[in-house]
Amino acid sequence: MLIFTLRRFNLFVFTMLLLTILSFSLSFLFPGDQLVNLTGQVNASPEQLAILSDKYQQNTNIVSQYFSYLTHLFHGEMGYSMTSHLPIATEILNRLPATIELTSVALLVAMFVGIPMGFCAAIYHRKVPDNLILTFAMIGYSIPIFWLGILAILVFSIQLGWLPSAGQISLLFEIEYVTGLQLIDILLSDSEYKWQAFQDATRHLILPVIVVALAPATIFVRLARSAMLEVLDTHYIKAANAKGLTFSQIIYRHAMRNAIIKVIRDVGLQFANLITIAMVTEVIFSWPGIGRWLIESIYQRDYTAIQGGLIVLSSFIFIVHIVTDFVYAALNPLAREPQHGA
Amino acid sequence: MARDKIYSEEEFPTPLMQLWHNFKQPPVVIIGFGCFLFLIVLAVLANVITPYSSVENHLDHLLLPPAWSDEGDVSFLLGTDNLGRDMLSRLMHGTSLTFGLSIIVVIASLAIGVVIGSLSALTSGIKSSFLNHFLDVILSIPSLLLAIIIVAILGPGLENTLWAIIMVLIPQFIHITRNAVKEEFAKDYVLASRLDGASSIRILRYSIFPNIIEKLISQATLAQSAAILDIAALGFLGLGAPIPMPEWGAMLANGIDLFYIAPWTVYLPGLAILFSVIATNLVGEGMRHALKVRKEN
Repeated sequence: MLIFTLRRFNLFVFTMLLLTILSFSLSFLFPGDQLVNLTGQVNASPEQLAILSDKYQQNTNIVSQYFSYLTHLFHGEMGYSMTSHLPIATEILNRLPATIELTSVALLVAMFVGIPMGFCAAIYHRKVPDNLILTFAMIGYSIPIFWLGILAILVFSIQLGWLPSAGQISLLFEIEYVTGLQLIDILLSDSEYKWQAFQDATRHLILPVIVVALAPATIFVRLARSAMLEVLDTHYIKAANAKGLTFSQIIYRHAMRNAIIKVIRDVGLQFANLITIAMVTEVIFSWPGIGRWLIESIYQRDYTAIQGGLIVLSSFIFIVHIVTDFVYAALNPLAREPQHGA
Repeated sequence: MARDKIYSEEEFPTPLMQLWHNFKQPPVVIIGFGCFLFLIVLAVLANVITPYSSVENHLDHLLLPPAWSDEGDVSFLLGTDNLGRDMLSRLMHGTSLTFGLSIIVVIASLAIGVVIGSLSALTSGIKSSFLNHFLDVILSIPSLLLAIIIVAILGPGLENTLWAIIMVLIPQFIHITRNAVKEEFAKDYVLASRLDGASSIRILRYSIFPNIIEKLISQATLAQSAAILDIAALGFLGLGAPIPMPEWGAMLANGIDLFYIAPWTVYLPGLAILFSVIATNLVGEGMRHALKVRKEN
């Protein structure tokens, strides 16, 4: 387990190194002055710029410039937004929780819907349910996400009027900012309208979550289906069959557990995809998350914000990758130490 | 009477022929393939067969619903948009933009990715391990975020979006070529031609490429459905094709303000995207199925 951890840690350090180099070089690639792109100080006077250039060691070679950028990053200084003139770190901290909330709920929904459907398809391999589920999966991952979002708003918000179409919660409720995760904040608050606020926030969450979850759910369907088919083909299932276990005993006790491990390994890989979908969905549903903020920063040419967003979103994805790797290793002895298996 | 076969000669079809043989078995794949070909024809002939130009305004026919509704006009089969432009013509022109350009994008990144991938498969040691990690980093950044960053560097516009998507797609082709080439290099038939004195480039050209081409094509179909969705998504976000262009994503963004009074301006471009992505995915699915069947035999 120690070697496993060290290897993952090594990978993480290397990845972060590359990522910071990438984001550092972006400040050169973006149009405009490199120092201004890095710090976001658009209106700085020449004296202020001189101080900044000293702070970022602009007159030394490129390697020490990079290291001074790294030191600033470690202190949480990512410069200032070119449009709002707030520190990027604060901007991101205000918005990241909303994205985490949306993506994690969507990921859970996708898993709880997709994996059982995939298992079901595998159990009825090449029969009617299998074909139906595969058709659903094909449509689900072919559908353009922005179109789906608009249709969902048109049908459920405008024509039927069941669910709200924009934002995270109705403006009537005032929720104190504690963790930034809206649902948890509501439960922590001591407002007398806590329950109504919770209901309202949930109603706001339903449509975006369904839109974000659809494509990953269909991928889970396919992963779960092929994992289950693989497991059902193994010798230990045949042995269990020969012992006279009933079909449901085999599925619930043996096949499902082994198949689910294989699916969990790929959950992390789906996360990058999920973030992409969430970015577009945030724009459509006016969700106050980091994706919408990033896309708006492009319209406003806020290069400092794009750099900060890249670093934060990608490291978030990496952390999720590593966490799923650990969960997978904890569940599956074969993955952590080869001597456990054949 | 002519006899086709005089000798009972054994025929060995090329990997590509074998792929086609297995590919055409399931009927649904052939339907998808037919739709795919239809879209290609449409993309090529769009300028010739459309009834109107994509920017021609018919100011006395604003927001005309499709012909099957009561107020519709049969000379505008799918209705018109808020500037009186014929939806059918715009959708057909859009095929050559969204679908046609996605093919070009995929071919370009396939070519670059295969060259870099096969060169990197021939190297080993620290250079190759660095490249591997570098690819892992790039592959784990969300594709749209990467495309947005490249668009931010280059500036918005359809052409810059295409460059951005080409660059986003290259790493996956490098990755798959590299792995496939390495896998083939370990096999005995490559060793045999190596013992005959063939150089690495010759082995690549005559022994390895014919055997990995189907893997590359199947990856290309995956990449193409991603490319269609990305071109449309960037167009929708206003970072890709400018609004007057009949690119499907931009058309959708244009219709969004009107979608309550003129829903066809939103659902038609969306259906067009859905149709082309499903056709591409069906072709890809058939390809992967054919590969699996071949592996099992």
